[in-house]
Amino acid sequence: MNGSRHDRAGGRADPVTVRFAFTPAAAYVRAARLVAADVAAHAGVATGLLDEVRQAVGEACTRAVLRHRDRGLDDLVRVEFSIGDRFVAKITDNAQDLRARANGKAAASTPGGDARASDHDAVEEDTLSEEITLIVLGGLVEDLVVTGPDADGGTTVSMSWPLPGSGSSGDH
Amino acid sequence: MRGTSGDGAAEPELGLGLSTVGEYAVISVTGEIDMYTAPQLREAVRQLSAEGRMRVAIDLTPTEFCDSTGLGVLIGARRRLSDAGGSLIVVCQNPRIRKLLDLTGLDKVLDVREAVPGE
Repeated sequence: MNGSRHDRAGGRADPVTVRFAFTPAAAYVRAARLVAADVAAHAGVATGLLDEVRQAVGEACTRAVLRHRDRGLDDLVRVEFSIGDRFVAKITDNAQDLRARANGKAAASTPGGDARASDHDAVEEDTLSEEITLIVLGGLVEDLVVTGPDADGGTTVSMSWPLPGSGSSGDH
Repeated sequence: MRGTSGDGAAEPELGLGLSTVGEYAVISVTGEIDMYTAPQLREAVRQLSAEGRMRVAIDLTPTEFCDSTGLGVLIGARRRLSDAGGSLIVVCQNPRIRKLLDLTGLDKVLDVREAVPGE
């Protein structure tokens, strides 16, 4: 992590960045969403929005893990928070499909031999869940942009929330 | 219900309490439902139906956190129980999770109640 400046008093200095990446496994999604809420709290995001930040970053990370799992990718999921005029969260995957495939064929090659891979119901729910993550994100986050996939990589979910005194209250 | 891993590791915890209210087998969920813990909830429902308990209530009122993976489990459970001639009700007085059900339109698909019938 490379973010040590939490003192935002006296004007907006260089943006602060917290960046990390994690193996695309379900066990680490919780860590990502807890870090998100903590960094957002440090940044000064309103207390009433912290649950939203936690949920949204968790959904975006879940989606990224599902996309990697579906493609059999063990590349890291990348997470970046930046604190400038707004609190910005970006979650980037490496899966080049627009959506997870609608059947479970790829799951047989899931790295790590996850026991769920052979579970048809679980695979079906995973596919369903990627759709639901986007529905939840769309309903939850006012400033949401999903970009990609492009030739260089997968998709990025970008979200932002207002910070006090930034002059950009709800939208941008 | 928390900290039961034995080695002190801070793992996401899911607590599943089983009880019976009227004709419903009730699964009361504490802790966090996410893609790591959701399989436990799915398995609990599957276990009940394997025992012939086809009327199931999942109580999310005491649940600390639920993400879309949890919603996927609810949808899957409803479908499997309905296909087998049973039913699923979701009990939820938790405003954060109610909001999630509302955002996704699942409040209209799932049978969401304030309490288990007969309670």
